[in-house]
Amino acid sequence: MKRSWWKILSVIIILYSFIAGLLVPLKPGIVSAGPQQWKSGQQAVVQTVGYNTFYTQSEGQIRAWLKFSDTLALAAEKIEVRNDRELNLQFALPAALPIPEKVAYFTLLIDNPVDGAHILPDAISVTGADSIPGDASAWLGNPIEKLHKKAGITYPYRNILAETIRNAYYHIPMWFAMILLFLGAVWSSIQYLRTRDQRYDLQALALTQVGILYGFLGLITGAIWARNTWGAYWSGDIKQNMTAIALLIYLAYLVLRNAFSDPDQRSRLAAVYNVFSFVAMIPLIFVIPRMYDSLHPGNGGNPALGGEDLDNTMRLVFYPAIIGWTLFGIWLAAVSFRISRLGEKVWENNPN
Amino acid sequence: MKKTLLALLMQVLALTASLAQGSGDIDFMRGIGKMYAVVFVIAALFIGIVIFLIRLDRKLTKLENQIEENE
Repeated sequence: MKRSWWKILSVIIILYSFIAGLLVPLKPGIVSAGPQQWKSGQQAVVQTVGYNTFYTQSEGQIRAWLKFSDTLALAAEKIEVRNDRELNLQFALPAALPIPEKVAYFTLLIDNPVDGAHILPDAISVTGADSIPGDASAWLGNPIEKLHKKAGITYPYRNILAETIRNAYYHIPMWFAMILLFLGAVWSSIQYLRTRDQRYDLQALALTQVGILYGFLGLITGAIWARNTWGAYWSGDIKQNMTAIALLIYLAYLVLRNAFSDPDQRSRLAAVYNVFSFVAMIPLIFVIPRMYDSLHPGNGGNPALGGEDLDNTMRLVFYPAIIGWTLFGIWLAAVSFRISRLGEKVWENNPN
Repeated sequence: MKKTLLALLMQVLALTASLAQGSGDIDFMRGIGKMYAVVFVIAALFIGIVIFLIRLDRKLTKLENQIEENE
């Protein structure tokens, strides 16, 4: 039991990631605002739908803006609370747009003491009249200030992602843990080539098996996530395709092992192939997807693991989850390793 | 044995499906919030680990049989 502390630790960490990952609420957000298109000079009534908002608790203290930039904004004249999640915002749109363009896009910003400030980017577009040139003066008198913060522990609300932002604790750690397990397999393979000790070969095999399991779980969880955010399980995204190829290369490792009857030959070739697979995987997963357009964060110019997608509250669950799943993977690999080692011994004693 | 297991699995699936639908309108956490995606992701992880466990189980059974034969 003393030597098993890390197994218990892995289970506790993963349980923590499940419980904290599912129980902490999201910050309030704005799901939709409509109608979206207006003309300058109109009296605009915009209906908004919030998410995790409690508008009735802060009636009278709600403020709203159409924000063009930090200095150019228009405050709502009248705010009617329909229920906890729905507002009617009335804006008296000035005759001139803040810029000399035909159409201007505005971010909707709602603030109140209970929910804090929450936004919907590019929620409203306003078309200007041809005869009136852009004039910023009417947009200057409503500074956005004294914004509130939502109290308590929350995860960020992101449009499109919504609750699926929690998948960051289940999908991404799979890949981190997979890389670490494959790294362990490469180390074991090199140790085998150096020492020709069968133990290392079986160790590499077990770590690779669990790495492949994690890789496929990463692909499947990614596909489920993609179905709900990108619109399809498999959209042929470069990141999806390249990781699938990398995993197939690793699958071939398992097939290759079965192709040899001589154990020494098998172990030697498997070890070399294992190192090759890792070297091939690096550009497939980390380099090529970055050079093309991709929907996946971290590729094609998209940011990853930063900003609003992974804030400091989320890091408190995300990083432990990586450690937990890695330790758990080592546990799975250790059990698999012990079984193959036992099999080897039975075989040695009775090679029939 | 396999048939009973399969029937049981079907029962569980049917039950969870009816639970997931709930009564009346789909509430906003499950509709707009896409909470389903998170539930299915966690279920997928569990199924993956179970499949690994089944493989280990089979290997052990083989080994046990071999040891018995040797004796």
